[in-house]
Amino acid sequence: MEEAESYPPIDPSNFDLIVIGTGLPESIVASAASAAGKTVLHLDSNPFYGSHSASLPLNDFIPFIQSESQPQSRNLTSDDYVSTPVATRPLYSAVETNSYSSEPTENSRKFNLDLAGPRVLLCSDSMIDLILKTGINQYMEFKSVDASFISSADGGLENVPDSRSAIFKNRGLSLTEKNQLMKFFKLVQRHLGDDETEDDKISDQDLESPFVEFLTKIGLSQKLKSIILYTIVLADYDQENLEACKDVISTKSGISRLALYHSSIGRFPNANGAIIYPIYGQGELPQAFCRRAAVKGCIYVLRMPVVAILNDKDSGEYKGIKLVSGQELFSPKLIIAPSFTIPSTPNHDAQVANSDDVSLSDTKKVARGICITKHSLNTQVANCLVFFPPRSLYLEQSTSVRVLQLSSNVAVCPSGMFVTYLSAMCDDNVQGKKLLNAAINALFSVPISGNSENSGASNLSEHAEEKPCLLWSTLYIQELTTFQGGLDSISKTPMPDEHLHYTDLLDATEKIFKEIYPNEEFFPSINVSNDDEGGGSELDS
Amino acid sequence: MASSGNKNINAKLVLLGDVATGKSSLVLRFVKGQFVEFQESTIGAAFFSQTVAVNDATVKFEIWDTAGQERYHSLAPMYYRGAAAAIIVYDITNQASFDRAKKWVQELQAQGNPNMVMALAGNKSDLLDARKVAAEEAQTYAQENGLFFMETSAKTATNVNDVFYEIAKRLPRLQQAPNPSGMVLVDRPADRATGASCCS
Repeated sequence: MEEAESYPPIDPSNFDLIVIGTGLPESIVASAASAAGKTVLHLDSNPFYGSHSASLPLNDFIPFIQSESQPQSRNLTSDDYVSTPVATRPLYSAVETNSYSSEPTENSRKFNLDLAGPRVLLCSDSMIDLILKTGINQYMEFKSVDASFISSADGGLENVPDSRSAIFKNRGLSLTEKNQLMKFFKLVQRHLGDDETEDDKISDQDLESPFVEFLTKIGLSQKLKSIILYTIVLADYDQENLEACKDVISTKSGISRLALYHSSIGRFPNANGAIIYPIYGQGELPQAFCRRAAVKGCIYVLRMPVVAILNDKDSGEYKGIKLVSGQELFSPKLIIAPSFTIPSTPNHDAQVANSDDVSLSDTKKVARGICITKHSLNTQVANCLVFFPPRSLYLEQSTSVRVLQLSSNVAVCPSGMFVTYLSAMCDDNVQGKKLLNAAINALFSVPISGNSENSGASNLSEHAEEKPCLLWSTLYIQELTTFQGGLDSISKTPMPDEHLHYTDLLDATEKIFKEIYPNEEFFPSINVSNDDEGGGSELDS
Repeated sequence: MASSGNKNINAKLVLLGDVATGKSSLVLRFVKGQFVEFQESTIGAAFFSQTVAVNDATVKFEIWDTAGQERYHSLAPMYYRGAAAAIIVYDITNQASFDRAKKWVQELQAQGNPNMVMALAGNKSDLLDARKVAAEEAQTYAQENGLFFMETSAKTATNVNDVFYEIAKRLPRLQQAPNPSGMVLVDRPADRATGASCCS
């Protein structure tokens, strides 16, 4: 903010669209609107790109979460308009950080920690399609997530047999199980194939039934059901407790998710499996979309807080915004990040009145955690996923805990360290923390607070199998927001959701774009023959 | 992003400098041999590639332009990442643009890779009558800060190719990649849906 005054005034002062916040959904909409020829101004009060989708240095991470854990408000008046102060609501809570070694904080700038981790990309998912369609693959590089593990009954980690070759190599499955799984994958393939034979298709009745019942019906073992439901179909809730399950996956949707996973394997010649991760962190995505927006003419101003929304004195309609610099800017449409609340003023109750508290979903939250260690969870791999299905950690565990370990080969931490993200859906902070702590205790050796520096070595030797020792960790609870639809002129983007992938977030973002620009295409295909776009830079390495 | 095979070097090159110093014009002159008198400040591309052959190597530059994000000092870290070379541009007829060029050098020294080859380009050297920044002053600054210096004119093409050739010569031949490199995604629609896939 100190630097705000030194900026030249923003010119022009009228735009087709103003976007506040540079989170991934805001950045995609800004990019799509710019591609559709709209004049766009994109602002962020922070000195970095990405808002709630950013990747941050370690020492900037906690201050950001804490600043977004408290409501804030600003106010300035305007002579010509009714000015509604812009306030923010808390989106993170119960932040709990433990530092057992000074080494991570001393290397703060070598970390790129995702605010919305764990998150990955499936090679065939809609986000990858959009990355390719928009040409931002020029700005980013990726690495494979080498392996997926599922926690086994004895507390160890077993490889997930997610492809034919993985089934073949797997040591945790019996021969019968391997055959069952092979048969099942073939069944799915026949169902999705082009053959018209009815015999090969799964019946409509089965398609509508819960996936778990279908898996039972075709005779898969408990272990195989668990693997398919929680590591490939990525179910959040316990599918075998249908009464309590908040999101029962149907056979139809289970099979389409399985198909997406399988088509991801081998899509890119250099990727080992189905899953990849962007080098430098997920925060590269909003930066890449913003860069593409800028190429299409979008104007970018970071470190520029918006202090008020300006409304017409008579009609109460949205007209524009007022910046901390005092400048007033106007646009027919406004997009705001999920952290903003705009209290209604007497003049315009209808417009934004119901946009805030309603959209905060009160029953669902996501607990997130980050752990830093010096050793990998599995000495064979650098980057991997780990799944703790419901009831695997403790009996009342009703949601899946998902874990993503990353190494310095994706430039998210100093060489020789590992960053591990955890997340789980929860109803409240206590439940969320319990879930993550159970997983952390299963995976890591947690030093006793206070005397961490000297107790590590002697403690470790007592354990038969050495677990990586925690150097630093943080846990926090993030609110989830559901997309409610735009309100006339102002639309609010959603928070990063609980999923491992971007599919739902991207759908919601496209909807926002379609609501404000119903007649525009969401990213028209670009002409590849245009050599200005740097054709020929296609590298395999 | 700089990597070397036998004698083929790929190098990311970034342009920095104030608005209206002629960054895009320099690139257009180098890549396409064109000059537009009234180049709009934001153009429809921000990524070019051009190959330069020097004595012992072929250097393929991947040139990143600022896309206007420098106007309100809002360049993303992505812009600097893995850059093997940078050209910092100022306008010899504008003292403020030279002062700002020094700020960009500091920014690069903070954010960029320490082995980066940096060039300082005093552009618009055809406008001698309006000169405000003495060549000697810029030369001295460049020497003190480990940059090489040239005055250029995108309009007359003076020294434009030379800046890029000089960078190509100075790039380390056996460069350790300063950052981990990964895969660049390339769509191969024809090859899709092979193997165990089923999909849409």
